[in-house]
Amino acid sequence: MRILGQTKIDFMGLRRTFFVVSLIIIMVGMGSIVLKGLEFGIDFVGGTELVVEFEEAVPVGDIRSAMTDAGFDQAVIRTFGAPQDILIRTIEMDREDERVRDIILSVLAERFPDNETIVLREDSIGPTIGAELRRDATTAIIVALLAILGYIAMRFKFVYGMGAVAAIFHDVLVAVGLLSLLHGASPYLNLEISQHIIAAFLTIIGLSVNDTVVVFDRIRENLKLYRSWSLYDVINKSINDTLSRTIITSGTVLIVLIILFVFGGEVTRGFAFTLIIGVMIGTYSSIYIASALVIEWVNRAQAKAKAAKVS
Amino acid sequence: MKKNRTKIIIILAAIGLSLYFLYPTYQDYQYTTTLNELTGADSVAFFEEHEDKIRSARLQRMKLGLDLQGGMRVVLEVDILRLLEELAENKDDQFEQLLAAARTEVAGTDEAALDVFARRFQDAGIRLSRYYGSIRDTDEQILRNLRRDADGAIDRAIQIVRNRVDQYGVAEPGIQRMGARRIIVELPGVTNEEEVRQLLQGTAMLEFKLLREPDIVLNVIERIDSYLAQERQDPETVDDIDPDTLDTPEFDPELTEEDLRQQHPFLYYVRPDQEGSGMSYVAEHHRERVREIVNRPEVRELMPSNFQFVFSANHHFISEGTEYYVLYSVYETPELTGGVITDAQATIDPQYNQPIVTMSMNSEGSREWARITGANIGRQIAIVLDEAVFSAPVVRSRITGGRSQIEGMANIEEARLLEIILKAGALPAPVAIVEQRTVGPSLGEDSVRRGLYSMILALGLTIMFMIVYYSTAGSIADLALLFNILFILGVLAGFQATLTLPGIAGIILTIGMAVDANVLIFERIREEQVTGKTLRAAIDSGYSKAFSAIFDANITTFMVGVILYNFGTGPIQGFALTLMIGIVASLFSAIVITRVVFDSLTERKGAKVSFG
Repeated sequence: MRILGQTKIDFMGLRRTFFVVSLIIIMVGMGSIVLKGLEFGIDFVGGTELVVEFEEAVPVGDIRSAMTDAGFDQAVIRTFGAPQDILIRTIEMDREDERVRDIILSVLAERFPDNETIVLREDSIGPTIGAELRRDATTAIIVALLAILGYIAMRFKFVYGMGAVAAIFHDVLVAVGLLSLLHGASPYLNLEISQHIIAAFLTIIGLSVNDTVVVFDRIRENLKLYRSWSLYDVINKSINDTLSRTIITSGTVLIVLIILFVFGGEVTRGFAFTLIIGVMIGTYSSIYIASALVIEWVNRAQAKAKAAKVS
Repeated sequence: MKKNRTKIIIILAAIGLSLYFLYPTYQDYQYTTTLNELTGADSVAFFEEHEDKIRSARLQRMKLGLDLQGGMRVVLEVDILRLLEELAENKDDQFEQLLAAARTEVAGTDEAALDVFARRFQDAGIRLSRYYGSIRDTDEQILRNLRRDADGAIDRAIQIVRNRVDQYGVAEPGIQRMGARRIIVELPGVTNEEEVRQLLQGTAMLEFKLLREPDIVLNVIERIDSYLAQERQDPETVDDIDPDTLDTPEFDPELTEEDLRQQHPFLYYVRPDQEGSGMSYVAEHHRERVREIVNRPEVRELMPSNFQFVFSANHHFISEGTEYYVLYSVYETPELTGGVITDAQATIDPQYNQPIVTMSMNSEGSREWARITGANIGRQIAIVLDEAVFSAPVVRSRITGGRSQIEGMANIEEARLLEIILKAGALPAPVAIVEQRTVGPSLGEDSVRRGLYSMILALGLTIMFMIVYYSTAGSIADLALLFNILFILGVLAGFQATLTLPGIAGIILTIGMAVDANVLIFERIREEQVTGKTLRAAIDSGYSKAFSAIFDANITTFMVGVILYNFGTGPIQGFALTLMIGIVASLFSAIVITRVVFDSLTERKGAKVSFG
């Protein structure tokens, strides 16, 4: 079976259009971050997070009013998967020598006396740990970017490394923007920035580079085979050559991610969702950001060199 | 076939090794299901019959993370600044100010608190000797001493926590030091938040307890033994047994293990020392059982008053791979508590070149100590921390002036440990819980079920897709994919790594990515076939031309895995680990295994393999 035969699509002809498209998506995402913000999970903020299972479902509003009465008016409250499972998060870990989790549990027992509760999960994280995890996550992403830039610059050329890193930047920016935009869109989709989401970002980086490298590898090979061709034509041919593989690999990865998203449960859902977005953007960016930027930069450098010769 | 012989051997070895590593996990699963099906006495009997096998399987099975089996993870921070505050003398406002400043600076970093503290003093131009040591000491000297105290506090906190968790009886606890001043404690299967908090944060209790007389100890052990034997034979009448009329069957050393277990249910676990010292030896995995027995109310009644069994904190010797602990019998009322200790120091005795620990006490303690030692020359006094004996030295003579010397440690490490323990009485190691995560067992089970379900579904769909799209070649890639998963699980089990929920997500992601190498190769082979090459030539050049892309693409992903592993914590590391193992395993199966299969399929002239 074949989905695609040998194609001859002029991908690079549309590169300027897609620059604009990418720019718009990023701007919208950044706008959402500025206006709506990102919700950071307990890992990065610190505090107490409880997931409680009630015997019978309780409206989120009732719990919210109970928490407000107890003085937790900033608490995040929402369902966690099933309607009887409730997630409660506060930014405090202790309140005057008493554990916040104890206070919350006693408030719930008082307000809903006939409704038995079980603690499914609880996290309490001190503020210092939160600050450290934030720093570690930032360092991890920066180190990953530098390592990739270094490796690709070594194996290919510096412009290619820059192209790959620009594509990664693009992917992460788009993904973060979309997370902000879609957060809260559905009660079943929890998109706060947690350690899992950071792991998802780093995986997106890995997958995006993976795609980019396959295209670059073809460019490297085709440049030797078709010495008389322009870079523009070589890149177009290389993308067409690898297109079938790109679609199939992204396809199989997407299949497993969708399965994880649907059946993997509440804990991995946000993670799977971020990766689904990431894989699609990563595939797109290996063509329209990484490869397209290489053309732009090489053209510009050649123009400059020509100008220098003329003058 | 010949040219692939080495490859085939490697492949078979990899498969064999993976199965070998996974076998205990399978065994453990079998035992667990059997145990769950059986109830009450049957399950106990089954467990006793297969105890050793169950234990070794459990020890070698693949570990599940706390997020999958439920449990608690607690991060403790040793409050070095509070320790420094307690150590300081002549504290004034300036001291308090500098301390407060250091506290603010330390928050949010992982830097050693002492360094920050010392820098603050240096910047303010104040000598440390105003508060510590004697006036003639230089800052360096004082700092060196303080550093020793600070390091000691962390070691001590770890020892105290380890000791308590050990007494609490958690299976496979994890306790490790993290960074400059933190301790990670992982308690699988434990979810009682309050109990754990008390366990980890309560003040350490150091006591000196006199050992009971050996003949009384042996008598108690025999009474318990015959009581249990009678209970075993005739459970109905056990309530009517009068402990004083119990007849003690002669102990026959020629008994088989099984008979011993039947006739001497207590002596089977507790082996008294042959020299009549009153100490007994208990195998590491029997400690829980013995603890449970000696705490039964009806067994307690068989003991005289002021009598207590306590285990040694560490194993005494190892025989045939099993660690044996000492079961001491002591007077329950302590002779002295550790608050009187002012200092302890591990050194090498220059005269005999032996490790020793010297211990000093305050004046009140010294007086008591002189009386206690004077009255008990030749007897052993156990040094007990939180119900575990760390040492039980023999009193040589009456010790006046409070300075004692403890000998008999096997090496300097053991002496260092005793020093740490002794100081627990004098210098507390204040710890605070800075992170605590609990996963209830039901959520863990749910995660495992969902994870496995997703994994099987993902595998099924990917396999089907590959067969539909690449026909025969696709099914060969599927074979490689199956082996790939076997290898990932085998490596995880072999390295005793922990499988977490993100780890399962990593395996699922690997399923999707693993076929990539084969997709690259097959697409290349199709291209080569279009140019009119023969099947063998197309396969040859497909593999060689796709290699550089596969290699570069996977190395970058692998690098991301390494970074994730180094910066992530707990569960995230689990994801990074499966991702990295998955990349290596998939390269091996997608390149080496499929190649061998293609080679053998195309060996005959005119053979055909469909690439869809």
